[in-house]
Amino acid sequence: MRVPLAWLREFVDIDETVDALAERLPMLGLGIDGIEGAGADAVFDLEIAANRPDLLSLVGIAREIAAWTRREVRLPPDDLAVGGAPARSVAAVEIADPGRCARYVAHVITGVRVSPSPAHIAARLEAAGIRPINNVVDATNYAMLEWGQPLHAFDLETLEGRRIVVRAARPGESLVTLDGVPRPLDPSVLVIADARRPVALAGIIGGAATEIAPVTTTVLLEAASFQAAAIRRAARALGLRTEASTRFERGVDPEGTMRAARRGAALVVELAGGTVLRGAVDVYPVRVRRRAITLRLARIPRLLGVEVPAEEVIAILRRLGLEVRARGKTVRAIPPVGRRDLEREEDLIEEVARHWGYERIPEALPVEVVQQGRRAPSIEAEAAARDALIRAGLTEALTVSLVTPRLLDRLGVAPDDPWRRQVPVRNPLTADHTHLRSCLLPGLLEAVRANVSRRREAVHIFEIGRVFRAAPAAPEERKALAIALRGPWGAGAWAAGGGDREVTFFHLRGALDVLAAELRAGELALEAGGPRWLHPGRAARVLLDGTPLGVAGELHPDAAARFDLPGRTYVVELDLEAVLARAILQPRFLGVPRFPAVRRDVAVVAPEDLPHAAVVTVLRETAGELLESIELFDVYAGPPLPPGTRNLAYALSFRARDRTLTGEEVDGVMAHIHAALPERLPITIRT
Amino acid sequence: MIEEIARSIDRIIDETEAAARAARTSDELEEVRRRALGRRGALAGLFGRLAALPEADRPQAGARLNQARTRLQTLLEARAAELGAHVSAARFEAERLDVTLPGRRGPVGRRHVLRRTLEEIERIFVGLGFEVVEGPEIEQEEFNFNRLNMPSDHAARDSQDSFYVTDDLMLRTHTTVVDAHVMVGRTPPIRVLTSGRCYRRDAVDATHMPVFHQVDGFMVGAGITFADLKGVLTTFAREMFGPQARTRFQPGYFPFTEPSAELAVRFEGRWLELGGCGMFHPRVLEVAGIDPERYTAFAFGLGIDRPAMVRFGIPDIRLFWENDLRLLEQF
Repeated sequence: MRVPLAWLREFVDIDETVDALAERLPMLGLGIDGIEGAGADAVFDLEIAANRPDLLSLVGIAREIAAWTRREVRLPPDDLAVGGAPARSVAAVEIADPGRCARYVAHVITGVRVSPSPAHIAARLEAAGIRPINNVVDATNYAMLEWGQPLHAFDLETLEGRRIVVRAARPGESLVTLDGVPRPLDPSVLVIADARRPVALAGIIGGAATEIAPVTTTVLLEAASFQAAAIRRAARALGLRTEASTRFERGVDPEGTMRAARRGAALVVELAGGTVLRGAVDVYPVRVRRRAITLRLARIPRLLGVEVPAEEVIAILRRLGLEVRARGKTVRAIPPVGRRDLEREEDLIEEVARHWGYERIPEALPVEVVQQGRRAPSIEAEAAARDALIRAGLTEALTVSLVTPRLLDRLGVAPDDPWRRQVPVRNPLTADHTHLRSCLLPGLLEAVRANVSRRREAVHIFEIGRVFRAAPAAPEERKALAIALRGPWGAGAWAAGGGDREVTFFHLRGALDVLAAELRAGELALEAGGPRWLHPGRAARVLLDGTPLGVAGELHPDAAARFDLPGRTYVVELDLEAVLARAILQPRFLGVPRFPAVRRDVAVVAPEDLPHAAVVTVLRETAGELLESIELFDVYAGPPLPPGTRNLAYALSFRARDRTLTGEEVDGVMAHIHAALPERLPITIRT
Repeated sequence: MIEEIARSIDRIIDETEAAARAARTSDELEEVRRRALGRRGALAGLFGRLAALPEADRPQAGARLNQARTRLQTLLEARAAELGAHVSAARFEAERLDVTLPGRRGPVGRRHVLRRTLEEIERIFVGLGFEVVEGPEIEQEEFNFNRLNMPSDHAARDSQDSFYVTDDLMLRTHTTVVDAHVMVGRTPPIRVLTSGRCYRRDAVDATHMPVFHQVDGFMVGAGITFADLKGVLTTFAREMFGPQARTRFQPGYFPFTEPSAELAVRFEGRWLELGGCGMFHPRVLEVAGIDPERYTAFAFGLGIDRPAMVRFGIPDIRLFWENDLRLLEQF
């Protein structure tokens, strides 16, 4: 709402400087979007809350200022000279849809001469952000700015049957609006029609065929009250936002319709001459009464935490235009016309708080029962997972959760992959944000790509976030984790000699091991195999205590190429929620061993395709309960080993809780292992 | 007899001294020690002859032998120390490093700057006794709007243009929706905080993203007032922005609070808008099954992304989502 200060001064005395106003208005709830000009010529651009249609008027703003400065408001003049025949003898009004139109007032003005408005009127409108059109239309806008009630002027001679019908549009009807755009209509749109056809979109914009033209001499001046929701819906459906719709959307009080209609008619005559016919046509089927609201004075400190003296409460409400009657410990107040936002006690308390001053409310700390703050276990677990990954050297990324299925194509996800069950957004804003993400990895790879394109070599990132999957009942929403690693691991390469610097599959595995271990979530295992967008020889399914929960591996060179990633990139995507559900965040002390461990090494020559995990399984099963840990310390293939085989060397650690183990005991276990391994696996023991 | 022993002692000392000086390594020195002080060494031989002495001479001879042993030990230790120092010096010289060479580091992981901000806020409110909870990003329209006093066609819905996935399921437009869930079935006092992603149909530009973060909190109790709201949020602002931080509460409008306020904090000479707050509208309490006559409640919702931009001097909101490591590694 653009408010020229000079115009505002017609309604309330304002001595305050522009700066003082600029400081105070926001403290009254009138946000300032900008101030143009200076001194008396200043124009305030005010941000008006959605519940205050009354502040889309100069009178409404004047009232707030008057309440602050404790001055009186001067309302616009209400006198209207009338003459000639009764209006209803030349025009008729019917409200066929009373649910969407509470009141319709029509004045008829004859003998007008359409011309441009005087310069000072045009200048005022322009300062308020409204383009001057002609003296009749300008009069309607002028009155609208004063009272906040939109008005519309028709050329009565163009109205078929000299009749106004407020009704739903009929299927197939259309209207060319004032902006020259033909608009097909449907029954959801409320129209003003004449005897035959729609002539205006109710509460939004007039029609071109009935507009005020240079030849117009007889005007039907509309002032009506339309249902806010109906206007809001129609305006949105049509993609139109006008001064009228902005006001009607927030609710225009039918009780204020007549006064604005009279002001508008008087202004038309003032600017364009003519005569206002006697007795406006006023169709107002059900009068909307103003209700009194009871305010218990004791409720004010209960809600605000500050005592406001009763006489102050009453004075504030009165200055805002409420009719107030004090009754002991309560106050009964009737809001002024236009303040439909005031419905209950709390609304009045807010008025008191605003004009008492938010800054005068003290700062207190609640004296409620003391409660220990804490984070929900699911949040703690997620934070622990994030911490573990960060400590493992990974950096957290955040990617947008709205995606396009093309990202899955880019990765090469199979048509029947569950990731294809993306949840579509019904009303996407852009073509690249049409679905909710079903997985994190494609977005993360986009982030990798962005970094690589900036010549960044080392990229070690992860994301923890929600993923969504379409399901019969309702979309599923779960927490997921994705990791992407590529390039050198660590800095200070001058001493590392090159070879070991690059990230490997096992760095990826290491990060997962850290995650499972730090969360004490159970035994993490990888088994060969995975989706087609992974390197076939370096793809794995991730299992936690035997339950599959994700995939890990080296990105397939074709997929990598589609993300513009040269070289090797290692990736993981996990159902993090399954990991978090198993997390143990409050560990118990397990004690430290009191007796020494005994180490024994065992080396086996195995076919190259025999997984390490298979050897470990047999070692575990045969070593018995004295086995404490198994550590792989060497993997070797090459001469003198036969081709197609490799050597795996393990350090086994044995320990008893209650005694120092003897060499003989451990030798016994080792003998058992040496016997069992070649029996159960196609391997030979190296001695 | 005793003189003979004394001469032997002198000789052993002289010889050992010379041999120790001649020794070049600790192994050689050990050999010297073994010859002088070993179980079959020279001094042990003299001790063996004590028994042959007249009873009267034995104490004196024994004492002299003990003195000799101490002296030899001292002498050998001194030489051992000399030899050790010599060896170390050579080793140290050989192992000299260029200490100005750069360090070697494993990668250092970091939190995303927005996550760091969220966690900072959570920590402050946990300190103020709040319980931190989370809720889904796909929400029922009923909770996101209706239960927060925003029925269909409410004008306030315009400022929260929403993404829908079905007729009644949508992407939450604010974390306040979690409040509406949490209140149901709980008995005051309640202090709850929540945070996470929200979605609005905003076109992407330097200050808007269709996805953004919010923190929302509320407190319900028998005596909760607007003054408490000011106190709690000002305490928060001082924790977050320093003890001198000033807050500003301006009247605002939210359908779910009455009275409502906009919260700003003075930061580097300008007002930084943090979000909205107010006393929960009685209707919001009523639909959650809380008697608004008995209990009052304040609630607040804080933006994360834009305040973080100002606080950290990040000029464009899109930078948060680009994941440029050159940015992420600065936090």
